[in-house]
Amino acid sequence: MIKTWELDPEFKYEIMKESGGEHLTACFQCSTCTLGCPLTEIIPTYNPRKIIQMSLLGMRNEVLTNPDLWVCLICQTCTARCPQDVRIADLLGAIRRIAEREEEAGKLKIESVRPSFDKAFMHQIQKYGRLYDMGLAMEYYREKEGSFFKGMMTMSKDYKKFGMRLFKKGKMGVKSMFPVKVKDREVMKKIFEHMEAEKG
Amino acid sequence: MSNRKYGYYPGCPSESTAIEQDMSVKAVFEKLGVELEELEDWNCCGAAEVEDPELVYALNARNLAIAEKKGVNIMTPCSICYYNLERSNKALKGSEELRAKIRGIDDSLAYNGGVEVKHVLDVLVNDIGIEELSGKIEKKVNVKVAPYYGCYIGRPPLTAFDDPDAPVLMDQLIEAIGGEAVPFDYRKAKCCGGPLMMTMQDIAFKMARDVLEGAKNAGADCIALACPLCGMMLDAKQEDIEEAFGIKIGLPVLYITQLLGLALGIDASKLGLNKNVVDTKPILGKVV
Ligand code: SF4
Ligand code: SF4
Repeated sequence: MIKTWELDPEFKYEIMKESGGEHLTACFQCSTCTLGCPLTEIIPTYNPRKIIQMSLLGMRNEVLTNPDLWVCLICQTCTARCPQDVRIADLLGAIRRIAEREEEAGKLKIESVRPSFDKAFMHQIQKYGRLYDMGLAMEYYREKEGSFFKGMMTMSKDYKKFGMRLFKKGKMGVKSMFPVKVKDREVMKKIFEHMEAEKG
Repeated sequence: MSNRKYGYYPGCPSESTAIEQDMSVKAVFEKLGVELEELEDWNCCGAAEVEDPELVYALNARNLAIAEKKGVNIMTPCSICYYNLERSNKALKGSEELRAKIRGIDDSLAYNGGVEVKHVLDVLVNDIGIEELSGKIEKKVNVKVAPYYGCYIGRPPLTAFDDPDAPVLMDQLIEAIGGEAVPFDYRKAKCCGGPLMMTMQDIAFKMARDVLEGAKNAGADCIALACPLCGMMLDAKQEDIEEAFGIKIGLPVLYITQLLGLALGIDASKLGLNKNVVDTKPILGKVV
């Protein structure tokens, strides 16, 4: 049930200010996005159209805590088909970023592990300018499992067969223990610091 | 006449999980007499994990600026790198304000909009062209191929260079090398599940399973692809997917540049065919 006193009429503007969220109000609720979304075969209740509708209505809390936000594959099928050029894949990203900021401010809790994966990934770029697979996996598992030790245990279990397979093909070995780094790491630091400062 | 030199942006997996793609791209372009100059000190494009578009633009402004200084256009073999580089290119070309803002972070991000970005598949079919390629074919790669395009070749419209639902560029290459593209319906351009591989493995595996089974049921001898993340899901994880669902797939997964390289008469080891996780020997036996 929608409780009108809990609606936030500013929510749609908040989303539209976010990069990628600009086209929100163009949506005319035709459902083309949901009909073409490959996730609906796996999760029948998954419904990007509804997330947009709830955003337009101002159901801020429901939208920002919706676990479906973190399942989107960013496959762009919805964006390609939308007759109104809403760019749903980008839009969901904009909403996810608002949710992450709210979590950082202690205002809500995100159940999904995806933000910690994305953060761990970004830390590799920030530090090295390149993706360092091993560093990413170690940080992600540590965050996910709550401690370095537990993280390493789960990681070695998950990677046992897979890692061996890659090792045999020479795709994982001593070399992959160490990061490849860009020479100009100072600029990577600057880029991230600048973006951080800008987001306040 | 096509531009015979490109600034090569290999992407992060090129030295590890997708080394065979990198090897085959280099070998194919060498054979074609098209020069690739690796962009010096290139950085990660942001992949699917950097969600803030402005951060993606800043990261890629540096890559674009490196190419611009060298006076080369960019070619990349990875669909996600392509998407990030090209959407950044479009955004930066379209806004002096954005360019100035990003330039303000550091001088090395000063980009003036003078570069084009292309995916290797686009370069092969549209710049070099099927005609030139056909003239250089030395061997018939007599295989049934499921052409798998994934997401960022035909979508989103902003950066797409093929049809979103029924892409054709890889099919044209397969035909040119003497292979047969099997009917692969909507699965051609369906997501492989890659972005959820580490965070929601069950969903990622279901996505990949549909693509793998579709290829197998279509009677393919192998899958061809053009993106390292798809390679990770469909090749490196194939055994895990078989195990998770108690099914048997056993389909070799090759980068389209590996198949093309075979047709151009390049040695299999130079194309990294021993690096693919699922054994590619059954395919080698069909190169005549
Ligand atoms: S396809 Fe576009 S217009 Fe239709 S419901 Fe989805 S976002 Fe709205
Ligand atoms: S981008 Fe996300 S919401 Fe859109 S079709 Fe793909 S999985 Fe569904």
